[in-house]
Order: sequence, then structure tokens, then C-alpha cells
Amino acid sequence: MKQLYILVAMLLLGISASAQDGRSLYNKYSDCQNVEAVYISPAMFRLIGKIPDVEMNNESVNLGPIIKSLSGLYVLSIREPGTAEELAHDVNAFIKKGQYELLMEAKDNGEVTRMYTVGDEFFVNSFVMIARQGEEVSFICLDGTMPRDQLEDLIADAAK
Amino acid sequence: MKSIDEITRLSAEDLERISLDEGIPLPEELSGKVQEAVRAADRQAQRRRWILPSGIAAAVAVLIAVGLTLTRNPEPQDTFDDPYLAYAEVERVFSKISGAVAYGAEKVNESEQTLDKLSYWK
Repeated sequence: MKQLYILVAMLLLGISASAQDGRSLYNKYSDCQNVEAVYISPAMFRLIGKIPDVEMNNESVNLGPIIKSLSGLYVLSIREPGTAEELAHDVNAFIKKGQYELLMEAKDNGEVTRMYTVGDEFFVNSFVMIARQGEEVSFICLDGTMPRDQLEDLIADAAK
Repeated sequence: MKSIDEITRLSAEDLERISLDEGIPLPEELSGKVQEAVRAADRQAQRRRWILPSGIAAAVAVLIAVGLTLTRNPEPQDTFDDPYLAYAEVERVFSKISGAVAYGAEKVNESEQTLDKLSYWK
């Protein structure tokens, strides 16, 4: 009986923890004023995956392989100071709860960019970037089962 | 004292006769032990009576929690209907991420160059 209670408590905790994710943040802020919001669903990623590879080749980087491993993209860009501050606070809480690992941090003249990932040695299940430039806060969340080496190579290649 | 085998071989009439024989002395603590065994059996039965309602309550709690999560956090509507536009947006996002990484790498290079200069003048 005690085991059943522990199991139920763990399930409820898990459910409440998973409630704080890219989607919940998107749902919370996407309808606010002065917010630029973009959502790409798993179904749309499947459609993008059907575009012939030739057409998906950028001049420098081929996103094809990584796109097929994505299941959701959430982008929020907020210029309203109060709302932007609230988003930054919520993202920090979500990063802490989701056991994200800091991938990179860059600070310059008050501009801060942080990137986080969660997953294992081989796969990234979620990638988050939060950038603060002046009063603007941008949030990018990529969900999926992205091969870690492919994602890192892609970002490194594009940054060259 | 009889062994368990001997007792099981006794007929019902024999058992009844022996139980009515007041000449056989009973251990003093037997009555207490029997009462304790009866109480333990009662407690166990009571606990069993709670298992089903508790299980149902737990299942209902889980269903409510899952339902609330799904209704409070519905899937948003796709921003693009056209996969080509969606792909262009993904490209833009990756270029933004790469830009941030490139900026970080540039800062690291600058710091390395400064460190090299400092070590040269030492």
C-alpha cells in the first residue's frame, strides 16, 4: 500500500514538473502584447522532412538530418520590459526544474546569452537558448531526439 | 504432548471429546495468544477493506492531474501552414544560435590573443 502511495506521489510530481516546459511558456506568453512568437509542431517538422534534400541545402549548412529529429520549436521574443523580465524568470525556473546543463554563456556590456541542453551522452532531448539584449528577451526551445554530435557539429559549422 | 501428525489423524469425535475434557490443563498464556491472533486477523481484514477504495482514489487523482495538465497546456497552433516557410524559420533560428556561438568563440579568441600578448611582454 505504501508503495502505491509513493508511486502516485511520484507520478503527480512528474506531471507537475513536466507542466513547466517550452510549450507551457509559449502558451503563457505568445498572446501577450509586443511578443513575437513562433511555434512549429511535430506534424510540420514531418512535412519539412519530406522536402527534398536538394532544396534544403543552405549555402553553408544542411539542416536536413537534424530537422528529422526535431519534434517542436518554440520561439518567443519580448520587448515589453515587465513581461520580458517575467519570461526570463520563468525560463530560469524551468531550466532549474528540468535539470538542464549549461552549454555556453556569453556576456558583453549587459547582453547575456545562455544555451542549455538536456539529454544524455548521445542525444539531446531539449535545447534552450535565452538571450537578453537591452530590454528584449529572446527564448528559443528545440525539442526532439537530436543526435548530440550532429547538433554540436551543425552549430559549430554554422559559427565558422 | 501430541505431535501435529497425531492430531491430524484424530477423528472429529475424538477431537470433540478431548476439547470437552476439563482434566487436560491449558497453558495460561493460550487465551491471550488466541485473542491477539483474532485481533491481528481483524486488523488485516480492515486493512484489506481500504485497499480497493484507496486504489480507486489514487487512480482518480492521477487521472485528474493528467487531465488538468492536458487542458491547461494544449498544443499551440502552428505559426506556418507552408513547410517551406517553416523551414526558413528553422534556418533563421539556427543562424541565430550559430551567431551566438560564433560571438562566444570570438570572445574566447580575443582573450587568448590578449593572454598571448601578455605572456610575450613578460
